[in-house]
Amino acid sequence: MTIKSSVTSTAFSRRGFLGFAAAAASAPLLAACGGGSASQSGGGSGVIKFWDMPWATPAYNDAAKKIAEGYAPASGNLKASYQTIQWANFYQTFSSAIASKTGPAVSTGGGFQAFQFEQQGQIAYADKVIDALKQNGQLADFLPGVLEPFKTDKGYVAVPWQLDIRPLWYRKSLFDQAGVAVPTDWPSLLEAGKKFKSMGAVGFATGSGAGNNIGNHLMIMMMLNNGGGVFTPSGELDVMNDRNVEAIEFLLELVSNGIVDPAAVSYTTDNLNAQWKDKKAAFGMLTLGVPQRVGDTSGDLVVASPMAGPHGDKAALIFPNNIMMYTNTPSQASSEAFLVAYLGQLKQLWQQKLMNALPVFKSITELPEFTSDPNNVKIVKEYVPIAKTFAAQGTTLNANLAVLDGGQALNQFTQTILTGKTDAKSALQAFQSGLQSVLKK
Amino acid sequence: MALTTAQTGLSRARRGVAPGGPGKPVNRKSKLSAQTRKTFFWLLLPSVVLLILIHGYPLVYASIQATHDGSLLDTGEFVGLDNFATVLASEAFWKAARFTLIFTIVGVFGSWLLGLGLALLLRTKIPAGGTFKVLLLLPWVVPIVVSSTAWNWLVGTPDSLIPSICRNLGLGTPLFLADPTLAAITVMVFKVWVSFPFMMMMTSAALASVDTTVYEAASMDGATRFQQFSGITLPLIARSTYISWILMTIFCVNDFPTIYLLTGGGPVDATTSLVVLAYRTVFQDFQTGPGVAIAFLMTITLVVISVILYRQIRKSSVE
Repeated sequence: MTIKSSVTSTAFSRRGFLGFAAAAASAPLLAACGGGSASQSGGGSGVIKFWDMPWATPAYNDAAKKIAEGYAPASGNLKASYQTIQWANFYQTFSSAIASKTGPAVSTGGGFQAFQFEQQGQIAYADKVIDALKQNGQLADFLPGVLEPFKTDKGYVAVPWQLDIRPLWYRKSLFDQAGVAVPTDWPSLLEAGKKFKSMGAVGFATGSGAGNNIGNHLMIMMMLNNGGGVFTPSGELDVMNDRNVEAIEFLLELVSNGIVDPAAVSYTTDNLNAQWKDKKAAFGMLTLGVPQRVGDTSGDLVVASPMAGPHGDKAALIFPNNIMMYTNTPSQASSEAFLVAYLGQLKQLWQQKLMNALPVFKSITELPEFTSDPNNVKIVKEYVPIAKTFAAQGTTLNANLAVLDGGQALNQFTQTILTGKTDAKSALQAFQSGLQSVLKK
Repeated sequence: MALTTAQTGLSRARRGVAPGGPGKPVNRKSKLSAQTRKTFFWLLLPSVVLLILIHGYPLVYASIQATHDGSLLDTGEFVGLDNFATVLASEAFWKAARFTLIFTIVGVFGSWLLGLGLALLLRTKIPAGGTFKVLLLLPWVVPIVVSSTAWNWLVGTPDSLIPSICRNLGLGTPLFLADPTLAAITVMVFKVWVSFPFMMMMTSAALASVDTTVYEAASMDGATRFQQFSGITLPLIARSTYISWILMTIFCVNDFPTIYLLTGGGPVDATTSLVVLAYRTVFQDFQTGPGVAIAFLMTITLVVISVILYRQIRKSSVE
């Protein structure tokens, strides 16, 4: 029995439908090639456009805007405007704006963004800014080692302004309850972890779910903690070195013993924060400001001293965030003058307790507003001197590190380790192959 | 008889023959004066320009990117079809293609079956049917960011609600997002949950146009409920069904947020679809050419599927 439905009698054009289907089907293509939105017009507007990221709460951006727009240039230099750029698709936003000559003259941004745009010839070197900082005395105020990673053969690609570091944290009450000491090396981490496992707590908390890169950073930190790293001192890829293998074998041991949560592979930042807040996580690597982040400022969450690896190495992972200048500017001299002035006002952000990052200037680390938090003091004293970047064992940052930091190879490697269904050498080999296929020679 | 008349009329109309006309195609162009054609041209021009800008320019730019070894900023060197060859030789691409296929099949037919069932249920007189209908639309209406967060709360950790219930029932503690197989199943179930209201609405609209006297006649002829469903309901709503399949296929293949917000494509790429792979290739690995090549391959596949299903619609119309 077949009956013609009244629905079928509706006018239905073949071309019309195919046009609609093709348009809908082309959505991925349009999405893949679509540009981000550049929300301001070009650099020739007679003002230095400063683009900044939401580094902390909106109050931070308000304060930074006040500094930028309150900048009073010397005669002949241009004033500055301020705009917040969201992290979502930020690289696309910058790329589109730069390509259309509507980008900023000065900006903060991704940790390795300056090197990526330097490759494209879009970055103005900051050597004159460094000279000016030398003259006004600020150069000597930089913490040791924070400026050097930005120096290339052609000049300083950017100037650091804050440090994002990955210290180890522990929950004091859980350690008291377990009656174990805070780990100082890998064997003591293993033993403490087993005790926590028996209590139903997590001995080494991490996560690599959607949008959470803590797990990725943990992998690299453990390599560094064992004297390893992804690169040689000269910058060659060196994933398969013995120290890395040893570090990953240890991580797999933690996973197989249940010291790393079996579900950590899927933990988002919220899941991980909840684990710390709910007193399930005893020990782990996280960012700065964990008490504020998880909403427990009782003093129970404390920064641990750096652990020693089996060969006595100590290291921490650090991301020197930076301010860069672009070649597309209405006045390079004005960009430089603004940057020097802005760096001189940074301390206000820490004085107002708006920053969830370490300062790059010693003078700011000595401010009472900063030293009032003992965790901050400990990080500056114990972690900063041993901190290494993603470039380790190399020292100079480069554009390839952006691929390492946010790319698929490291994320897949991390998730493989956290599921525990692999061996160290196979996982590292796959990691190396993945990196080789995407890194620029 | 009426059917024959209708078909004949349709056939004449398709040939451009006016009702009661001489049987020869009418040359419509000849009826339009030069001035009218000119007016039409100027009226259409803004739309055509807009379409070229919206679709034409990005398509051309994307094809340039797909055939060059560049970045978002710099076009780079021409590499011909190398990016396509690289993508097609990549294990990650085929793994993502396999997941996309399964995700789409489950997403389309799972949501259709659920939507059809609920649409049939809502046809019967149930108390508070209107309210029930509105509530059933919620998964489609609620922003995906909100629903994915809610699902993460439900299944994300061993202490979440669903794993806790499983544990209390003695079923162990399933790691819904941490186990690759369970994560893939969870994402598909989430997609079905998000999509069934759309299918329900499409099917409800189609069912509303079916004359109920047909069922009465069939019932008098002794047709069982199943015979009525398979012999009357399904054929009558076939065209709407095919359209909803096409649309849902496109929605599933292009679905980025459902997957990315819930699992990010993990664990270990177990839920990485082609659109997620394209995104990560362009914006995380900064491999613009291969990423756009993936998007091109997706587009071609979707157009082919759409054409095949469209032919099915025409076939069902003729029947």
